[in-house]
Amino acid sequence: MSHHYVVTAQKPTAVVACLTGNFTSPTDLNLIIARNNQVEIDLVTPEGLRPLKEININGTVAVMRHFRPPDGNKDLLFILTRRYNVMILEARMVNDVITVVTKANGNVSDPVGIPSEGGVIAAIDPKARVIGMCLYQGLFTIIPMDKEASELKATNLRMDELNVYDVDFLHGCLNPTVIVIHKDNDGRHVKSHEINLREKEFMKIAWKQDNVETEATMLIPVPSPIGGVIVIGRESIVYHDGSNYHAVAPLTFRQSTINCYARVDSKGLRYLLGNMNGQLYMLFLGTSETPGKGITVKDIKVEQLGEISIPECITYLDNGFLYIGARHGDSQLVRLSSESIDGSYVIPVENFTNLAPILDIAVVDLDRQGQGQIITCSGSFKDGSLRIIRIGIGIQEHACIDLPGIKGMWSLKVGIDDSPYENTLVLAFVGHTRILTLSGEEVEETEISGFASDLQTFLCANVDYDQLIQVTSDSVRLVKSGTKALVAEWRPDGDRSIGVVSCNTTQIVVASARDIFYIVIEDGKLVEKSRKTLAYEVACLDITPLDETQNSSDLVAVGLWTDISAVILSLPDLETIYTEKLSGEIIPRSILMTTFEGIHYLLCALGDGSMYYFIMDQTTGQLTDKKKVTLGTQPTTLRTFRSFATTNVFACSDRPTVIYSSNHKLVFSNVNLKEVNHMCSLNAQAYPDSLALATKNSVILGTIDEIQKLHIRTVPLGEGPRRIAYQEASQTFAVSTLRIDVHGRGGAKPLRNSASTQAQNITCSSNILPKPGGGNSTAANAEVGQEIDVHNLLVIDQNTFEVLHAHQFVAPETISSLMSAKLGDDPNTYYVVATSLVIPDEPEPKVGRIIIFHYHDNKLTQVAETKVDGTCYALVEFNGKVLAGIGSFVRLYEWTNEKELRMECNIQNMIAALYLKAKGDFILVGDLMRSITLLQHKQMEGIFVEIARDCEPKWMRAVEILDDDTFLGSETNGNLFVCQKDSAATTDEERQLLPELARFHLGDTVNVFRHGSLVMQNVGERTTPISGCVLYGTCNGAIGIVTQIPQDFYDFLHGLEERLKKIIKSVGKIEHTYYRNFQINTKVEPSEGFIDGDLIESFLDLNRENMRDAVQGLELTLNGERKGAEVEDVIKIVEDLTRMH
Amino acid sequence: MSVSDFIKGLPTHDSKNFTHLSNEHGIRTSQKRASVYLPTEEVASEQLIVMDKRCVLLRYLTQQWDKKTLQRKREHGGDGTNGNNSSTPIGNGNSKKRPRLDPNELN
Repeated sequence: MSHHYVVTAQKPTAVVACLTGNFTSPTDLNLIIARNNQVEIDLVTPEGLRPLKEININGTVAVMRHFRPPDGNKDLLFILTRRYNVMILEARMVNDVITVVTKANGNVSDPVGIPSEGGVIAAIDPKARVIGMCLYQGLFTIIPMDKEASELKATNLRMDELNVYDVDFLHGCLNPTVIVIHKDNDGRHVKSHEINLREKEFMKIAWKQDNVETEATMLIPVPSPIGGVIVIGRESIVYHDGSNYHAVAPLTFRQSTINCYARVDSKGLRYLLGNMNGQLYMLFLGTSETPGKGITVKDIKVEQLGEISIPECITYLDNGFLYIGARHGDSQLVRLSSESIDGSYVIPVENFTNLAPILDIAVVDLDRQGQGQIITCSGSFKDGSLRIIRIGIGIQEHACIDLPGIKGMWSLKVGIDDSPYENTLVLAFVGHTRILTLSGEEVEETEISGFASDLQTFLCANVDYDQLIQVTSDSVRLVKSGTKALVAEWRPDGDRSIGVVSCNTTQIVVASARDIFYIVIEDGKLVEKSRKTLAYEVACLDITPLDETQNSSDLVAVGLWTDISAVILSLPDLETIYTEKLSGEIIPRSILMTTFEGIHYLLCALGDGSMYYFIMDQTTGQLTDKKKVTLGTQPTTLRTFRSFATTNVFACSDRPTVIYSSNHKLVFSNVNLKEVNHMCSLNAQAYPDSLALATKNSVILGTIDEIQKLHIRTVPLGEGPRRIAYQEASQTFAVSTLRIDVHGRGGAKPLRNSASTQAQNITCSSNILPKPGGGNSTAANAEVGQEIDVHNLLVIDQNTFEVLHAHQFVAPETISSLMSAKLGDDPNTYYVVATSLVIPDEPEPKVGRIIIFHYHDNKLTQVAETKVDGTCYALVEFNGKVLAGIGSFVRLYEWTNEKELRMECNIQNMIAALYLKAKGDFILVGDLMRSITLLQHKQMEGIFVEIARDCEPKWMRAVEILDDDTFLGSETNGNLFVCQKDSAATTDEERQLLPELARFHLGDTVNVFRHGSLVMQNVGERTTPISGCVLYGTCNGAIGIVTQIPQDFYDFLHGLEERLKKIIKSVGKIEHTYYRNFQINTKVEPSEGFIDGDLIESFLDLNRENMRDAVQGLELTLNGERKGAEVEDVIKIVEDLTRMH
Repeated sequence: MSVSDFIKGLPTHDSKNFTHLSNEHGIRTSQKRASVYLPTEEVASEQLIVMDKRCVLLRYLTQQWDKKTLQRKREHGGDGTNGNNSSTPIGNGNSKKRPRLDPNELN
């Protein structure tokens, strides 16, 4: 058997549908956004959009619409999934707690129906009498809405129209009436059908209009009292209501196709239209009122407003703000302005990151810290971009001072206590202290006369009464901030020296060996209040107030040597009120009391880079919920800092980490710096809201990114990236892109500036292959206005992401594949690019090239090329040779000493060899429709041998080799499967099969698999025995992880999964088991061999009671011992699993 | 009519909405997501949507039959005296077909 764990690291981001209505209450204005299998409810507020809840649907959302029941004061949501599950949802909000109630649910699939070619469409009668859907050819499915009935009887009506493009309900009709755009041999027509709900049949055709525009695609029903419908075509707009007819053909429309609309006002006079070029239009219906006839449309006006992301859906929110849902670029919040800015009436306000569609990814360790970053080819057309995705937090460096050997660092306000900014940085070194003044961006060394500068400072701080504190091994010094003069000093008696110290603005605790002293800071005085001798020497101390509004603490946290314990003392008597033994022999090095999201924690970092954390009771000092995490390998120092109005903790070590809280859970996020020994927050005038970080040799002043786990940086390209390859030798990426040029009178011209037109160097491919059969070049004979696909090879700097070089191919030559490879004995590393000539009338490209480029000294030179008879879909470096999937062949080319590609061997056994992966001598081939095949290259004979294949047909989208015998595939219906080679099989026949051992419905189409990990490997001990890590990128912009797990761990997680399925109820009542079923057309098989990590991780969001239910009767093996699982054990395991991403 | 006239008087639900949204720092980029809704209480669905599994063609034919028999009844006047006012030919003495017991299961 084969066992896997699959989990989403980045949830899908492509927006499928959006709408605005009153959902959470009759007065709340909500934006609802649907993404793949998720529905997000947002609230429109004065501050903008506030996300309220994200709801998982066990299905892929195909259509989302809303309606208001006739007697209701709130809107309801109707969702139709790809597997034809339907649901009606209601959102209720009581005291800021949202519940989503499934009002109605069911399935409307028809086992014998032929899916309609225009995709699934659903519409709701304006009076909410019936829901209508076009799911299958020749059928119209209706769900009559009857509030009283316990069952809603969905029925298929026979519809004469076979090719339906759009359907909607007309307003103001006595009976529910649908309007349809359909196509037959004569063209496209618009027709209305009245539905008899009692008889469940179409009654009559109220009116129709034959031969509307040949590319009419969209219907906009106009509300009463105007009524009728607007028909949107490729070049024209028609209004029709059966008797009245108006048409316009705006010139600007020709550029692209309108693909979505939003009604602006309820009367239905204004509409927003968006097209595939990202242009936003407003359509205005001019009306006139005539007695007897009522309001009629007299003309149509259309104006272009400006540019937006290529929209998938648009909705009008409030006060001129729109939400643009996108699947090719970032979604947007935009504002319509009545005054134009540079000819545009659209002002973008907020972008919502969207990675979709992810066509390719590269996993590279750019920072050289053992942590991978993902570079994705995201978006298409003008919204194309590269996205750099890493786990952790980025520090933007603003200044760097070379200063080696820093032992401690604090920021102070000196002499400017009323200013919000700090102006001084105190740096401690062995045997001395240096003080830096920050004036503007300049940093100068200075002195504070009251400070001891010939000793190492242990602590420095601004305290009450405009005073400063400096603690050295000798004494605690109190200094007036204004005069910088020493006003009081406290020394431990005898010749003892201070070991560790902690303070807040009113209190200090000092420890010298086993003795601990409590000192209160007064105006010009340091008053010792109490002292105690503890059982062992003090290793670390903390007196940070737990309540942020307080300036003093009632508790002191102490870490002790020898017995390795954390002790809580009460103030002012220093009485021990709680002792917690930390297991092990590593001494605590830093202890900190802090509050995240209203929960008090005690963090205790040890000398080996690990850290214990507890939930702490503010009054009794009791520590509960002990957990351990490994942050680094060196002694760790904990410091608090504030960022974006929340408290966070910085753990300084060899793997600096920011600790913060998200949804009441602590999150540990790596920082993109190699080593941080000390840090302090710094809010100086020139460096506001910054951090000062001391590394081995320098101080870095920088700002921290908004704290989030997955950090995404965008490099806009302005054209669609398709393939990416990384080349370490030249420190560059090669990216193949598609740019759309438009043919004008003087030839093809780019529509806009983009990465390939603005590169530092631009070259053009001169070598044009002869067209097979002497066919006409599409480029040469193009009409004016015709779009031409221009493919470019971009060479991009790995650090700056500047486009260093653009190599343009002449249409119809397109780049089909790309890699970086070291070939034969050649010392150079090359970019290998495969192209093909795509000619529209040919069923398949017949000619292509494989070209070898060398990027060196800022120059891209073509080294070699070879002609191939078909499209080279995939390239893989194979033992210093080029392995290519060309049409139905898999071929191997060797790199000769003459720098030429020479074909070595060849196998033809596919329909189209789209995907290749290689390991050793083995080659995994993903076919267009014949699933996966395993080949072996016999080096001695110089031939390929087919070892085994999966005999069940599957249309493949990506393949990956997990290990020598295990192969992962993604197919076009959103399923993942794993096939395993059975080397131990007894017969040849069995050995030639790749049986499918694991299967799973992911619900999203994986386009690319890559080995690699987002997190650092081998950090500390793990409870989770995972092996290998494959990252994937999907059509909907999700990034996920597939990893292998052993059988016993699988069994444990499977048990947890089964329990969670019962505890977590499904919104829309689609069973989780049904959702994860592996389904290809009519073949349905239960999911097996895969654990749904998203479900497992939701365990952490359950309350304690539910957690207890979930682990009831669950068994696990801990330290080789089989026992009943405790909630704590399971939390630890699941938390470890979440650290994979 | 200029574009500005088009955009004038856009609908307002609550005039306060978006008023505190400042544009000073340029376009904001956001990737924050709402917390996930995890219901653990079972609430029964008020209504079940069930598919009428009868074949569209058969339903069409029976409807046609209805229309015809109704017409015939009207034409022949008292021919329908055997009390058969079923909507299908079931029970018609001339029919060779035997009635299905559960019409819903016809498929």
